[in-house]
Amino acid sequence: MPSATEPLAEAKPATRPWAGLERWNRKLHFYAGLFLLFFLWLFALSGLFLNHPAWTFHEHWKNRKETSYERPITTPRPDAIEDLEQARDIMSQLGIEGDILWTTPRTDSDLLDFQVRRPGHFFFIKANWRQGSASVRHAEVNAWGVMKFLHVFSGNVADDARNHRDWALTYLWAYSMDAVAAGLIFMVLSSVYMWLQLPPKRRLGAIVLGAGCLSCGLFCLGLRWLF
Amino acid sequence: MTRDLHLYVGLFISPFVLVFSVSVFFFVHAWTPSMAPETTRVVASLDLPTDLATLSGRPLVDALKPLLGRLNIRGEIGFVQKRMQEQTLLIPVSIPGRAISVQLHLGRREANIVTRETGLADALMTLHKSPGGHGPDIRMNWLAMKAWRWFADATVYLTLFITISGVYLWAMLRAERRVGLVLLCAGTVTFFGIAYAVSH
Repeated sequence: MPSATEPLAEAKPATRPWAGLERWNRKLHFYAGLFLLFFLWLFALSGLFLNHPAWTFHEHWKNRKETSYERPITTPRPDAIEDLEQARDIMSQLGIEGDILWTTPRTDSDLLDFQVRRPGHFFFIKANWRQGSASVRHAEVNAWGVMKFLHVFSGNVADDARNHRDWALTYLWAYSMDAVAAGLIFMVLSSVYMWLQLPPKRRLGAIVLGAGCLSCGLFCLGLRWLF
Repeated sequence: MTRDLHLYVGLFISPFVLVFSVSVFFFVHAWTPSMAPETTRVVASLDLPTDLATLSGRPLVDALKPLLGRLNIRGEIGFVQKRMQEQTLLIPVSIPGRAISVQLHLGRREANIVTRETGLADALMTLHKSPGGHGPDIRMNWLAMKAWRWFADATVYLTLFITISGVYLWAMLRAERRVGLVLLCAGTVTFFGIAYAVSH
């Protein structure tokens, strides 16, 4: 079995029953890698930026552009009873799209405060039906901000049942993240399978993989045992 | 040479890539750890630094570390909440897979320590988001988590290396160029298409 990347011309004719699996495993390894290339670069680089907030070149929030405005709004449709439906009604009147984030509990049925977010754009909306108007603060961030927000954009907030995905494109991006994660898991498993087909590289590979497992296992499991 | 480096570097970072990949499902689907049983202990007659009530940020974390050490609590100290009316500090301390909450009563010089084993899935999530972008002045106050940051950074750099070396090695495979190119273009269009749609 050739290594993951040996030219096909070097491969010996496959005669074993598992040869087809080995060939397809190898092909799918780099097909998946090529398809996911930009996704991997996005998540790798944005992860690095998120871990280094002190690096100033990727600062996005301080460099945001803000605009504020007020728009007249009408009372929500009679069938819009829930907060989410009323917020969607306001968004439709204001021409705003994105995922809703609830930040404050509602105390007055004539008022509704919420945020709408999508990568690059943050809308802070205060609707007041008594006055028939909504004030909107719109913050637009730079490309670094878009990258970092894409890294964490799932629409869900842990331990907060009120905040969940409510925009179709959030679902699309969230499932894309699932697909990238599944693709990465496949690539890891396929690479281990390919390595096992290379007897001359098994020993060094086992040492390297063992070092990786040991160091990673220390953090995942070992710290709890040690401390 | 490139092929061997691609293989060995890939093998080394495999477990780290699995940590980041598997935890994605927990984040995307808002999984929360099951409420494991708590163990509680109370330690009284503590010898507290006199300036705890006035400190904040990193100096507060640095002042708390020796005290927590004496209480046999190790881990990364999170954002400390001050409840001045009650003369209480709420100190979250975490080890991947374990959450410790210390309620420190400054007036009574007493600590109420609640420990909860949150399990492997929570450990993966903690590692995935560490150190993270919030509270950079207090983050990485425990050596183990400092070391994790080095590994997390190294995973990124090595991932960039294996993606670039992978593209180079694929480009050497003449027979696979056409299909590979189609998939590379399809992936590029998909990525930029979705990213554009969600951000505009």
